Amino acid sequence: MSLELGVKSSELRETKRKTITVAVAGNPNSGKSTLINAIAGSRLYVGNWPGVTVEKKSAMFEYEGSKIKLVDLPGTYSLSPYTQEEIIARDYLITEKPDVIINVVDATNIERNLYLTIQMLELGIPVVIALNIYDEAEQKGYRINTKAMEEMLGITVIPTVATKKSGLNDLLKAATEAAANPSRYAPKQLHYSEDIESAATFIQTHLNEHHSSLQKRYPMRWLAFKVMEGDSHMMKEAGLDIDISLIEQATKHLTRAHGDDIESIMADERYAFAAGLTREMVKRPEIRKMELTEKIDKVVLNRFLGIPIFLAAMWLVFKLTFDLSQPFGDWIDGATAGPLSRLAAKAITAVNGPLWVASLATEGVLAGVGFVLAFVPVIFAMMFFITFLEGSGYMARAAFVMDRAMHSMGLHGKSFIPMLLGFGCNVPGIYATRTLENPRDKALTALLLPLMSCGARLPVYVVFIGAFFTTHAGTVLWSMYVMGIALAILMGVIFKRTLFRGESPMFIMELPPYRMPSLRNLLIHTWEKGKHFLIKAGTYIFAVSIIVWFLLNLPWGVESKKDSYLGKTGQVIAPVLEPIGFGNWEAASALVTGLIAKEIVVGTMAEIYAVEQEEQEETTVSEDIREIGASFTAAVGDSIRNVFATFGVTSISAEEDDSVSGLRTVIQKAFTPLTAYAFMAFVLLYMPCVVVAIAMKHEFGTWKWFGVAFGYQMVLAWVVALTIYQGGKLLGIGI
Amino acid sequence: MGIADVLIMILIIGGAVYMLYRSLWKKKGHCQGCDSVACEKKQL
Ligand SMILES: Nc1nc2c(ncn2[C@@H]2O[C@H](COP(=O)(O)OP(=O)(O)OP(=O)(O)O)[C@@H](O)[C@H]2O)c(=O)[nH]1
Ligand SMILES: [Mg+2]
Repeated sequence: MSLELGVKSSELRETKRKTITVAVAGNPNSGKSTLINAIAGSRLYVGNWPGVTVEKKSAMFEYEGSKIKLVDLPGTYSLSPYTQEEIIARDYLITEKPDVIINVVDATNIERNLYLTIQMLELGIPVVIALNIYDEAEQKGYRINTKAMEEMLGITVIPTVATKKSGLNDLLKAATEAAANPSRYAPKQLHYSEDIESAATFIQTHLNEHHSSLQKRYPMRWLAFKVMEGDSHMMKEAGLDIDISLIEQATKHLTRAHGDDIESIMADERYAFAAGLTREMVKRPEIRKMELTEKIDKVVLNRFLGIPIFLAAMWLVFKLTFDLSQPFGDWIDGATAGPLSRLAAKAITAVNGPLWVASLATEGVLAGVGFVLAFVPVIFAMMFFITFLEGSGYMARAAFVMDRAMHSMGLHGKSFIPMLLGFGCNVPGIYATRTLENPRDKALTALLLPLMSCGARLPVYVVFIGAFFTTHAGTVLWSMYVMGIALAILMGVIFKRTLFRGESPMFIMELPPYRMPSLRNLLIHTWEKGKHFLIKAGTYIFAVSIIVWFLLNLPWGVESKKDSYLGKTGQVIAPVLEPIGFGNWEAASALVTGLIAKEIVVGTMAEIYAVEQEEQEETTVSEDIREIGASFTAAVGDSIRNVFATFGVTSISAEEDDSVSGLRTVIQKAFTPLTAYAFMAFVLLYMPCVVVAIAMKHEFGTWKWFGVAFGYQMVLAWVVALTIYQGGKLLGIGI
Repeated sequence: MGIADVLIMILIIGGAVYMLYRSLWKKKGHCQGCDSVACEKKQL
């Protein structure tokens, strides 16, 4: 045991004085990220399903005068190198050598969690256990003897409830203390059966003699185990080139006696130890009641009801999103078009700028950015519901239910996690494909991901729904998302038969218990998801609306926007869109600029259709500001009324604001309900936005997959819009 | 349109293009989680 302590070299201790590095590791969904957020006030992504964190992330903070770096690792069930999460977590622990590991153990599931703990103890790094989710364990009536646990494992065990911030101080104290005195807090290690131990000693002696330089880098006992297990990933990394016959010599009697490979034999022993330990430490109540989670799952996961329930839940989310946010959208929209643009114009005249700059500010920036901003409340409402579904544990069920449907078609169930993330924004979804081991599954998932309707597409839907489908707003919105999912399944099947032949391994996802997310966490994570859209509006959407304004007004002095650069481009493309129902240059140019980000489609339309403001009566600056405030108060009232209306009191009529109806009326003239629906479908499908393109390049190191996505999506969008438009025309619907 | 107009125009367009480049390419579109390590470098 003392051998491992040699690992701590003096140089390490030097750096330690400056910052203490604390690795937070444990099983998936045990609350690691929640714990770090609670300690350091960070805002790492948290969700109630296994596999949220796929990448190591860190948060810094100060504790009693020393800087502490908390490193969040992806959750793993073991430290074997079979999944990307395991490799990331293990490589970090081995190569970066944190000063101490906080092992987050799910108190409701001790036995399975301890398996990982036992492996962690072998790394020779001080370990402190955070016995998290202690509240739920108590609720279930478990009695956990933490003292016994401490004695048996030789490490400190602190019960914590990360969501309520309890136990954190004790945990930090224990962790910093262990980091400061690594030799005193050296963990005990599991003694395997004699056969294994003697084989390990044999190999360890060999390593010490012939590869003594490795002693600085690795705990040697652990390395000997890895060599016995034939862990090629580790051997390659350590640059170990050991004679196979030597390993065989050490282990052959073992494999012969047990009739199994070394890795399984050792795994069995760890399981047995974990089981024994749990039996000693945890007292469970005699009679187990059927828990709420099981009751709900009986219905929600039902073979026949599962998918209908999922669809119904989605419908409710969209209905609520739409109703709740509509008044706020109208408010921002009214404010930017009316008083705010007056304020902008006043400011420019005050500094004596040229007239066209005033037009750029109002028709360009305020119309472009303002119109996108108008939909930020919708996006936030949507993100709120998504966060709620993630936090409650229902998202995991949705993945499970859909997986059952998709697996029969040969798609990998694990792909669902990135896809779920894609509903917020496709970009994090692309990065999350990193967890997929098989490069084919990874590429396939990234290709299908842009079909998940992200928040950026909402503004387009909302404008068109507001113009044509107010009575069935929720349903029409819902149909867009369902269309995206259905087409993803269809394309998945097609790709599986063509580009990506081969079987996908079975994926088993652990279903977490249902939990009630706290309002505070809901708000924080809603903000984290939605803030991205605000930043976007303030940066590149702002930039694009300026460029669009110039494209609409150049060459200088152009009479009508139709003859501007953008108008000309639109006219070139329009014929291609003719058969699918919207062959006008306005729609075509909006689709072109929308390649940057899909919100820009509405921003550009607002710029193109920017109706000259009729001369309004003179107002003062303070009147303008007061008007903005008053209409906000009205919007809050409307929003609350709408939510009640959703639950059946009265149907809501969308507020007819002057400026909104400005764009709405023009759109109503340019489109029919049918072409509007085809247009929405086209926007959903036509290509991933530029940021997704960059993410794909970044993640795969090549533009190839983006090229494929671009190509197939263009074709798909066109074919789908064509089907909708021509089909609808034939049937005489919505013309 | 005068020299001043042209200058202002070039400045504004230049600024806008730079902003596009910076936020789209450099900042990876400010996607969620990019403030921390996720989008910085590839792990594997
Ligand atoms: N009741 C209760 N719930 C908790 C506690 N700690 C975390 N949770 C919940 O457990 C779920 C998982 O939390 P995360 O922090 O995302 O878990 P993680 O370990 O980071 O998970 P991965 O990143 O998937 O490995 C969330 O729904 C949390 O709200 C706790 O102490 N008590
Ligand atoms: Mg996590």
